[in-house]
Amino acid sequence: MLRDVTLGQYFPGNSLLHKLDPRMKIFLIIIYIVTIFSANNPVSFAVVLASAFVLVFLSKIPLKLILKGLKPVFVIMIFTAFINIFWTTGDHLLISWKFIKIYAEGIQYAIFMVVRVLSLIIGSSVLLTYTTSPIALTDGLERVLGPLKVLHIPVHEFSMMMTIALRFIPTLIEETDKIINAQKARGADFSSGNLIERAKALVPIMVPLFVSAFHRADELAIAMECRCYHGGEGRTRMTQLHLHTRDFVVLGALLILLAGIIVLNIIF
Amino acid sequence: MAETTGEKKHAAEIELSHVTYRYSVGTPFEKAALQDVSLKFEAGIITGLMGHTGSGKSTIAQLLNGILRPTEGQVLIDGRDIWAEPKKIREICFRVGLVFQYPEYQLFEETVAKDIAYGPHNMGLDEKEIARRVEEAARFTGLTPDLFEKSPFELSGGQKRRVAIAGVMAMDPEILVLDEPAAGLDPRGRKEILGGIRAYQREKGNTIIIISHSMEDMAVYADKLMVLDHGHLSRYGTSHEVFCHAEELKAVGLSRPQITKLMMELQKAGIPVDSGIYTVDDAYEAVVRLFREKKQGGMA
Repeated sequence: MLRDVTLGQYFPGNSLLHKLDPRMKIFLIIIYIVTIFSANNPVSFAVVLASAFVLVFLSKIPLKLILKGLKPVFVIMIFTAFINIFWTTGDHLLISWKFIKIYAEGIQYAIFMVVRVLSLIIGSSVLLTYTTSPIALTDGLERVLGPLKVLHIPVHEFSMMMTIALRFIPTLIEETDKIINAQKARGADFSSGNLIERAKALVPIMVPLFVSAFHRADELAIAMECRCYHGGEGRTRMTQLHLHTRDFVVLGALLILLAGIIVLNIIF
Repeated sequence: MAETTGEKKHAAEIELSHVTYRYSVGTPFEKAALQDVSLKFEAGIITGLMGHTGSGKSTIAQLLNGILRPTEGQVLIDGRDIWAEPKKIREICFRVGLVFQYPEYQLFEETVAKDIAYGPHNMGLDEKEIARRVEEAARFTGLTPDLFEKSPFELSGGQKRRVAIAGVMAMDPEILVLDEPAAGLDPRGRKEILGGIRAYQREKGNTIIIISHSMEDMAVYADKLMVLDHGHLSRYGTSHEVFCHAEELKAVGLSRPQITKLMMELQKAGIPVDSGIYTVDDAYEAVVRLFREKKQGGMA
């Protein structure tokens, strides 16, 4: 049922990547993305792909789980590969049949794109979503975006909104599940009829869901005010973020990777 | 389908036969909620299903009306497997009514009357029959007709609960399962709702299962009590038969009604009252009788 839905899930653990500072992770992911996009020849792509798997190894998250998470983007990868195979032109014509022309460059490009998307998703999910709890993530984002406060952008409020939204996703899923079951018990039928009838069948779910969501929001606001919440001004934190040696070691390793890719690009 | 009020129809019995239920089968979070459970709910009476938190009571409720499908084993109504034809499982919802815990969140219609009519409407009944059933269900749950045209969201928590229960009662199921119908209500609300359910059962003669962990309530309103311990039947019988096994009840995290404990204390203090008293009304009578006897004794 709905409870099996997985959403940008965090996998609790104690690996090197779990322990990294969330602020550093945000920088790391940016560097990693730059690295992936600067690769432009077979050797550097191989290095990029290998580095993605090294990250998986470091995170100690089962590879099976990550591959399962890749399923939804599988279609996108196939689609990108397809477009690249048929639409790239080059010097080495391999197959020519009626209007279809496939060049060696097209196939190479298709492989590059797939490797790029693959390492992008594996890298970012392992570096960020799988190994960073949502709370740490928003905390890190708030700190990284902190300088924007000068421009009167309510960074704290945004990150608080994000934290709350993330916190309530499982609650709302559970609630929806409960309401669906309760209406089913009253004979609701969600699986027959035409489009309009089916849309109408959703009313008994949406109305109670919205009512309870607003109710919950109201209660949360009161509970926060009762504990004297008044926004980010002068607020201290329960857990202070500290940069450790390991953060700089991983940063150094990634910078070396980036430099290596650039060198490889020049050589080949 | 149309029956005249007060006519008792055939009461159905419902049974779990070697049922095992596991949540999230095939994922790392797989967990057995029930393991090889066999229970039989007698026809035409109110059975109080009791057990402490996590004993699988709510899972049983959802298995009884086909919301959940047993991983193994069968659910039988009058000996027939409800999952014999999985496509017709929706019919089972009409035969076995289920009122969830805190059912007030399920209300959604513009008016109370429309909300109560939602279930009967899904059954495809005609407007006249629906109106009759709405009126009847409202009577049992103590909702006055002046509330019919109000929005359910304007009502108090207790009234919302009544509307939700009425919504399932109006479907006139052969078997009605209520999961903690009185949870979180004040004593008067509890009494009215449980009393209404009992009056409904007495008039319809159908099978009712009330899930509760309140010994006090179940001693008063249930005909038979069923005590669960980790999803297994620990005791079944009348309140007297169940409550005389105090040690066993304690072991499964339940205790005798407070009034029984009080009576036992009185007995220990040398006051000759019966320790087999489970309701406040009975206790009241016993104490009054005692006073009367004493008065007469004093006068003689």
